[in-house]
Amino acid sequence: MSVETHAHHEHPDVVGSRNRLGVILILVADIAFALSMLFVYFYLRMQNVNDMWLPKATADVPATTPISSSTGYTITAIMAVGLLAHFYGLKGIQAKNQTQLKLGGQVALILSLVGLGYQFNTIASSPFTFNSGGYASCFYLITILNFVHIVLTVFIALGNWNRSRLGLYKADHWHVNIVNVWWIWMTVSSLLGAFALSFT
Amino acid sequence: MTTTMDRPASAPGQSRRSKPLIERLNIFTALALGAISALVVWQLALHFLPQLPDGQQYFNREDKITLLSMVAWFIGFMTGIGALIGPFRWLMGKDLSHDENMFYAGKDLGVKRYFRYTTDHKVVGIQYLVMTMLIFFIGGTLAMLIRTNLGHPQGGWIHPQAYNSIVGTHGIIMIVGTIIMVTGPFGNFIMPIMIGARDMAFPRLNALSFWLIVAAAVPLIWGQFIGGITTGWTAYNPLASQAPLGMDGYIMFICIFAISTMVAGANITTTVIRMRAKGMTWNRTPIFIYGTVASVALALPAFPVFFLSQIMSAMDRALGTSFYDTTHGGSGWLYENLFWIMGHPEVYVILIPAVAALMEMAPVFARNPLFSFNIAVLGIAGISGLSVLVWAHHMYMAGWAPLLNAPFMLTTELISIPTGMLFLVLVGTLWRGRLWVTMPMASIFALLWNFMIGGITGIYLSDVPADAFLHGSMYVTAHFHYTLMGAGLTGALASLVYWFPKMTGRMFDKKLSWISFWMVQIGFNVAFMGMFLVGLAGQPRRVETYAKMFSRGNLITTIGAYVIMAGMLVLLHGVISSWRHGVKAPMNPWQAKTLEWSVANPIPLENFDVLPVVTADAYGYGKAKS
Repeated sequence: MSVETHAHHEHPDVVGSRNRLGVILILVADIAFALSMLFVYFYLRMQNVNDMWLPKATADVPATTPISSSTGYTITAIMAVGLLAHFYGLKGIQAKNQTQLKLGGQVALILSLVGLGYQFNTIASSPFTFNSGGYASCFYLITILNFVHIVLTVFIALGNWNRSRLGLYKADHWHVNIVNVWWIWMTVSSLLGAFALSFT
Repeated sequence: MTTTMDRPASAPGQSRRSKPLIERLNIFTALALGAISALVVWQLALHFLPQLPDGQQYFNREDKITLLSMVAWFIGFMTGIGALIGPFRWLMGKDLSHDENMFYAGKDLGVKRYFRYTTDHKVVGIQYLVMTMLIFFIGGTLAMLIRTNLGHPQGGWIHPQAYNSIVGTHGIIMIVGTIIMVTGPFGNFIMPIMIGARDMAFPRLNALSFWLIVAAAVPLIWGQFIGGITTGWTAYNPLASQAPLGMDGYIMFICIFAISTMVAGANITTTVIRMRAKGMTWNRTPIFIYGTVASVALALPAFPVFFLSQIMSAMDRALGTSFYDTTHGGSGWLYENLFWIMGHPEVYVILIPAVAALMEMAPVFARNPLFSFNIAVLGIAGISGLSVLVWAHHMYMAGWAPLLNAPFMLTTELISIPTGMLFLVLVGTLWRGRLWVTMPMASIFALLWNFMIGGITGIYLSDVPADAFLHGSMYVTAHFHYTLMGAGLTGALASLVYWFPKMTGRMFDKKLSWISFWMVQIGFNVAFMGMFLVGLAGQPRRVETYAKMFSRGNLITTIGAYVIMAGMLVLLHGVISSWRHGVKAPMNPWQAKTLEWSVANPIPLENFDVLPVVTADAYGYGKAKS
């Protein structure tokens, strides 16, 4: 391999593009994870082993009734509005408008916290227990993992808003672009969960 | 400085405040914080988790306590090593300064940098190398316990429950060891220099991927003291749901290791795609890079599936869900599907980089260009693509979807075509070459022999009628050892000797490398030919005792195993003695043409003062033969 040399400098856009690819690749793993979860849901639903997907009532235990599908879609809607708020902030910084960035980030953070609370409430108030059959198991799996996703979103949204507040995105804003990628995936994954849970 | 360009510098005052904390954190603080966290959470869980009334599921409470303590260990350890500093500094808007980044890179830290959250890819490569050797030492010791017990038909000197746990632990340890044995040490140390980069794309994620493995090791060891892993390395459910608490160690181990694999996969792939030197087009990118990227990119979507299967296993055990419990709507086949969707690509995650490393060495020691670079790339891509479509051949005898047996038989047998392409590339490169017979060169011949046996016996196993007879026998064990050890480990050991001069600045002792090579290869073929014999005669795998008719084959295998052990100990001695007192290596002892040989020993912190520009491929040793 012949070798010549040249001086080396990296532009923030190069670094940003590299970070963006890295995040997308990590999301590939997360997407594989989410798709496997859907596989689990539909596999167990279709198999309905021993007719225990939604167990019928017995003398001791009432029948398992599924959660309304609107719950999952409500969380998705909250996250989608959060995504829009973040996108509004991103558009702001692209137009060199720091105030818009801060406002978008702040609203996105608040919505992620609302989503977190709502998801927690959904899990805590479910009308069945962990051992109430296949549907209940899958419900807890999907909602708990969505909860973990939203916790990560809160962390990211908090950091993003704080950094906007400190004016750290004045020079370059590739961080905000990458956070946007996360918000998109977060909303899509929430939608996938809601979609699955609507098939009872 | 590339290592600092990815984040803006903070004010000097900010860095000064937090610098002492960064400097204080190392493996000892990590171990201490991990242990304290686990103990505190264990006590809290013991105190606050309610006792279950009699008759409720046996292990739920104990599993909760164990898993919570292991999670606490994990968080404590990662905090103590300093993995969370970067994310929290980002959150607070106080990015790491240039000096702090240099500290993280291990600048002027000497030996201490190997015990810290160091981001320099060369340090991470060495850490992986030592970790891999440690894993093989432990896994090999367990193998010797198994073989010693099987030296006599009645076994007897290991308790059956302990024996089962040894078999399971040996399996999972060796799988993890072989997964990281090439991409860990050489993918981290050599790969960035080979593509002309100053470091990995994400140096902190690089350190994270290594320290996650260290964090994962403790729950696995912990599990040995609370019942062990008695299910075999596959941890099939619902068997695993009913296994002792040691299973929780397995679950945590896999979950943490899966995160490490995902992080490493994203990091290595990004590095190769975005950071290759100017002029290094895909046609000029060395074949080892293709092998490394194929391996980690394959792991990227495969390991999350395994991760999920273990989360569900943990939920079944600790929370009482019923993913795998058929009485409550679960399915054991579900686990088998999830496991093997990861499990079969994982074989190629192990094999491809090892074979690619040998393809990298073949032109160097044959002084020939790599025979048909494009076929080599196609072979790697073909194996990677097909490997995700073959998983159910592990389930022919499980009774899951019999109608799918024929399609899976077809996809499995198709994989021999791209595999054959890699054989063709190796043989074509050696053909009429001026062979420089070193240990790595001899390893190419060993790989061709071992992989041929592993591959051909695999074709029998992919065939449904033959598998009906051979499934669950020692024949299967011998087959996968021929592929993973005979081919994979052979490639890894050759890589060690080949890149040792660049990694340590010293030549590997030639005599010891040869002694070790012959002992390992002869011992290996004796051991696993013996295993094929007893497998064909009908001996099931994972048994502690066996009928007398199998005793000769087992004795042969045990003798072979001891020869392998002796050979590996010679290799270990070679590593230690050569590292300490070996002959100082010149910059390019093999006269190779890839970029890692163009940097001086010892390699500077950022590899290149000025980045190279590549103007030709790495295999210009002469005119290609066709």
